[in-house]
Amino acid sequence: MRRMFFNKNARRKKEDMELDITSLLDVLVILLVFLLKSYNASDLKVNLVKNLVVPSSEARKLGNHAVIIQVDKNKKIFVNKKEIGSADTQGEIDSLSEALKTQRATARDPASKKSKAVNLLFDKGLPYKVLKSVMHTAAMNGYTEFKFIVQGNY
Amino acid sequence: MGRKLKKPPKLNLIPILDAIFIFIFFLLMSAQFIDIYQIGSDAPISASSESHPDKKPLNLTIVLTGENIIVKTGLEENIYKKLKMTELKKLNESLIELKKKWPKEESAILKPSKSFKYEKIVKVIDNTREIRKANTYITALDKNNRKVASKVLFEKIIFETID
Repeated sequence: MRRMFFNKNARRKKEDMELDITSLLDVLVILLVFLLKSYNASDLKVNLVKNLVVPSSEARKLGNHAVIIQVDKNKKIFVNKKEIGSADTQGEIDSLSEALKTQRATARDPASKKSKAVNLLFDKGLPYKVLKSVMHTAAMNGYTEFKFIVQGNY
Repeated sequence: MGRKLKKPPKLNLIPILDAIFIFIFFLLMSAQFIDIYQIGSDAPISASSESHPDKKPLNLTIVLTGENIIVKTGLEENIYKKLKMTELKKLNESLIELKKKWPKEESAILKPSKSFKYEKIVKVIDNTREIRKANTYITALDKNNRKVASKVLFEKIIFETID
């Protein structure tokens, strides 16, 4: 009786454990399709600040890497996600001017040092006078190619 | 008679799983969950326009005040159309007509009032840059002066201010 028990156990050990990975593969394929669909070839990476909703647009041109200026609904200005002041004043904004000069001076690659492009993200509720002061300040500091970043709508 | 049926050979899925995992990590790292695009505009000082000596320039100017859109043309800025913000379709149709008359013109000057909201400006830009109707195209000339079907209207947007 005891011998029979040991024989059965030994036979079981010989058989390989087999995992059923079909369901795992299903999940992976779905994830892969979703990620491939949302893949964007643009080299522009934007982390939106709080209190900023960009307007939606029909534009379909992908953005490129450049200095990013964000202005939230409270008119706070952020250059590359760092708060630098507010856009309450009319005409040239001194704090933004300083920040852009620093950006140009500290840029590592020669292309960024000469770049004229600037990515602008404004809250959709802002009046044109805010846009005007920001664009004016950017242009005065050599950033004359404005790229308004918008959200795609379908 | 008593021969057992052979088990079908199993596929070795491990290498393909490895590849899928690496692909997923790459895609996850580069994923951006909001679709963002850009609308280009040059500062007036760096804007350039081609001269067409045989024809008067269009000088398309779109004035935005309150809820009104005023389309002006020519150097004298004659009023071509006066529309409401709710009539963006009509604006698009008027610009299609203008583009047909001036196929080589590419720029439009936007003159929003100081209090005009950014969201509305973007809507006007959308209707100025492209034909919105699904199956409508206009004949445009490419770089080699060949006729091509196009949806592009006035792609270069230049901002100007009225005080």
